[in-house]
Amino acid sequence: MQWMTLFQKETLENWRNFKWLWVPITFILVAALDPVTTHYLPVILEKSGELPEGAILDLPTPTPPEAFLLSFGQLNLLGVAVVLLMTMGIIAAERKSGVTELILVKPVSYTAYITAKWASTLVLIFFSLFLGLLTSWYYVNILYGDLAFSIMIGSFFLYSVWITFVLTISIFMNVFFKTPGLVGFLSVALIILINSLNGLVSRFIDGYPPQINAYIREYVINGSTSGDLWLTLIITLLLIGVLLISSVLIFRKKELAA
Amino acid sequence: MEQTFSEVISSIPWGIVAPLLVIQSILLIVALVDWFRIESTNGPKWVWLIIILFFNIPGPILYFLIGRRNDG
Repeated sequence: MQWMTLFQKETLENWRNFKWLWVPITFILVAALDPVTTHYLPVILEKSGELPEGAILDLPTPTPPEAFLLSFGQLNLLGVAVVLLMTMGIIAAERKSGVTELILVKPVSYTAYITAKWASTLVLIFFSLFLGLLTSWYYVNILYGDLAFSIMIGSFFLYSVWITFVLTISIFMNVFFKTPGLVGFLSVALIILINSLNGLVSRFIDGYPPQINAYIREYVINGSTSGDLWLTLIITLLLIGVLLISSVLIFRKKELAA
Repeated sequence: MEQTFSEVISSIPWGIVAPLLVIQSILLIVALVDWFRIESTNGPKWVWLIIILFFNIPGPILYFLIGRRNDG
């Protein structure tokens, strides 16, 4: 009951500050631009007139799966950046301005406060991600050739686990610091660190969260995955749970102390 | 080599480009509407108008991400 009220309040707020408009549009543009521009790259280069007379351009045409994967490359860069920048003040700014205190003087549970924010942002991001991948899939089908719809759906589910992990890290950072800029910077740094350790860690253990991206690649190209996809998914989901629970616990401790 | 303006226009695959243009325009319009209605932004308000208008796609997105005050 109380949780639904908070959830609705967050969703309403996301309507009022236009997040339900600009986040989906951003994801659509981020996901669709690369497949489209790559297809027209020879034309763009030719029209820009920078090439010397008689230059021969022999760019390999990507296969449909390769073209679709271009979207994930952009999402990993710009999509993740948008998620982190969008959520860097989600709790930190409210704590700084005192809104948190206004809410928490009422009998509102700390768990509901944090998880309602987490869930409402998650719904928004899933919606945006789905629209983005759908647009990319549409363009890949028109410009490059057939790509099964089930591949789009499957990769959407895999990627949504990864993006949930990214969001939860941002929520976790929000609980620690009151300055949105610092929260954003630290979450970006942490995600970069986690990603850059991928090569090293993957050599020794299976189930490291960023490996999801490698599985998506395999899934889109082959239609199936080898190795421990499920282990990676379960470990990532467990980490999300742990991060979320510790966020609530730390938040409660900090707010009671304040 | 020389092409007239109308030739260039008709050579553009509108079926593919038009949806992206429409989406981008919606983003631009929403950002402008919000810019007019908002009281104050992070930093000078007129700078954000220039950013929204002249930096095609990243401009409005940056405005929503950073320009809007998150605490107001």
